[in-house]
Amino acid sequence: MSITDRRTDLGSPWRRLAGALRGAGDGLAGWGLVAPVVLFFAVVFLVPVGLMVRWGFYRQLDTGALSDGFTFANYIRLFSVDLYRKATWTTLEISVLTTVVSALLAYPLALVMARGPALIGRILTVVVIAPMLINVVVRAYAWRVILANGDQGIVNWLLAQIGLGPVHLLYTEWAIVIGSVHVFLSTMVLPIAAALGRIDPAVEDAARTLGASSFAVFRRVTFPLSLPGLAVGSTLVFSLTASAFVAPALLGGNFVKMLGPLVQEQILSVFDWPFGAALATLLVVLVMGVNLASVGLIERRLQRKMKGAR
Amino acid sequence: MENRLGAAALPVYLAAGLISLFLLVPLLLPIALSVSDTPFVVFPPQGFTLRWYVAVLGERDFTDSLTFSLILSSLAALGAMVLGTPTAIGLTRHAFPGRDLIRSLVLSPLVFPSLVTGIALLRFFSSIGSHDALVNLVIGHVLVTVPYVVRTVSASLIMLDPAIEEAARTLGASRWRTFWHVTRPQIVPGLVAGGIFAFVTSFDNYAISMWLFDAENVPLPLTMFSLISRMFDPGIAAIASLMILLSLVLVLVVERVTGLQKAMSL
Repeated sequence: MSITDRRTDLGSPWRRLAGALRGAGDGLAGWGLVAPVVLFFAVVFLVPVGLMVRWGFYRQLDTGALSDGFTFANYIRLFSVDLYRKATWTTLEISVLTTVVSALLAYPLALVMARGPALIGRILTVVVIAPMLINVVVRAYAWRVILANGDQGIVNWLLAQIGLGPVHLLYTEWAIVIGSVHVFLSTMVLPIAAALGRIDPAVEDAARTLGASSFAVFRRVTFPLSLPGLAVGSTLVFSLTASAFVAPALLGGNFVKMLGPLVQEQILSVFDWPFGAALATLLVVLVMGVNLASVGLIERRLQRKMKGAR
Repeated sequence: MENRLGAAALPVYLAAGLISLFLLVPLLLPIALSVSDTPFVVFPPQGFTLRWYVAVLGERDFTDSLTFSLILSSLAALGAMVLGTPTAIGLTRHAFPGRDLIRSLVLSPLVFPSLVTGIALLRFFSSIGSHDALVNLVIGHVLVTVPYVVRTVSASLIMLDPAIEEAARTLGASRWRTFWHVTRPQIVPGLVAGGIFAFVTSFDNYAISMWLFDAENVPLPLTMFSLISRMFDPGIAAIASLMILLSLVLVLVVERVTGLQKAMSL
């Protein structure tokens, strides 16, 4: 101990070495702490997913065996057959709609959570988070009862009370959108509420003092400052909707096909593993592509803001 | 801080109220339907009976799945806590090369399509000859629940000033003593919240389970899914109500232990 102490006093090279060693020790301890999780993820996540992507480039022969080598046949089929092109398109459409509707509904909730009286904020937080913890199957079941076609559905029962004719809701794209918004709204509200909470009230007060109307304050000050939260929420909602299985299966049935149920069908009913793997890979590319793009966008914005500040 | 919504407050409150209804009605509806004294699910419900609850509790498919899901989710939450806690400490308390990459990797199951993870695991387990459904399911569920524990424990650690830990170390406490007497008490609420979220996430998981279950080991959401398509009496609503009540109890526990907002942040 005393020797090292004296050495560190000898001058900056020794001190720097000691500092580097301490840093290395700290880094080593850090690596030691995360090593188990890294090993776990490598073995049961990265390797299996990598192998699955590779499967998408095999081909299933008529005998059920797999072709050797490397083929794009699955991907050519994916983009040339109408059914699969349409499923991809439907998946995108429903995911975008769900994201937009969730964002619109999220702002009033997030505003009250972040700015309203503390008690109401707490109650709303429970209201927003409670559905998150309730099984997707249970929620989809409730929406099936609400949206059911003919005279059994609750929406149609309500419409009949005021003399309006039955509407066809269940097994349409809108049924999936409504169900998905209900499932993922919390995921949108929480990051927006967090972003709103971080805004310095003085900035809004300044705008108001300078004569801006409430709406102008929201549009020019509050909303732009909440964009990071909106970006996080939108990315999550898009990803989760695009790769969902339960809501599309129970609310869309066989009438609206999204990629999730299609993958399940290819693998568990048709047993076409390579084609199922190709569909799954497409889903991953879609979802992770949107995620990376959104992360890139947020980072660029942050950099611009920092340059602006300087 | 009280009510900073300004002149626009009323319409915003009104909208928030309506949207809350949109969120709550589907959760209350099954409870209303489940007490209907009719052979089919009808709206509006008629009469009042608890016989569907009695019937459901005698339904083997349901009780077996419930037991299995409780075991599976407890094991998964335990695994996520054991694996997630050191990860959170490493990521928040130590600087090392590759840290950001590892953080992204560990949190990636939150956005990576778990349907795809499930397919990949199904192939992987069959290729290495792992055929025990419970083991396979626990591994799959730990994978998708670890991020929750990492998030909540990291949140607790960020709020704990590292200077307190450094002070303990300077005063001669070993790393382990410092962890046990200074760090541990501070992260327990985050750990409990993370464990509960892990449990609930696993308990509700469909996208991984649908690939890894077998005939003897069917998690509850899968049983629910198949019951929906072949059961039309209010029993199905009774099952839904029981699951809703269970989740609500857990929400209130988290709210009491850590505060929901804190637990969900980051």
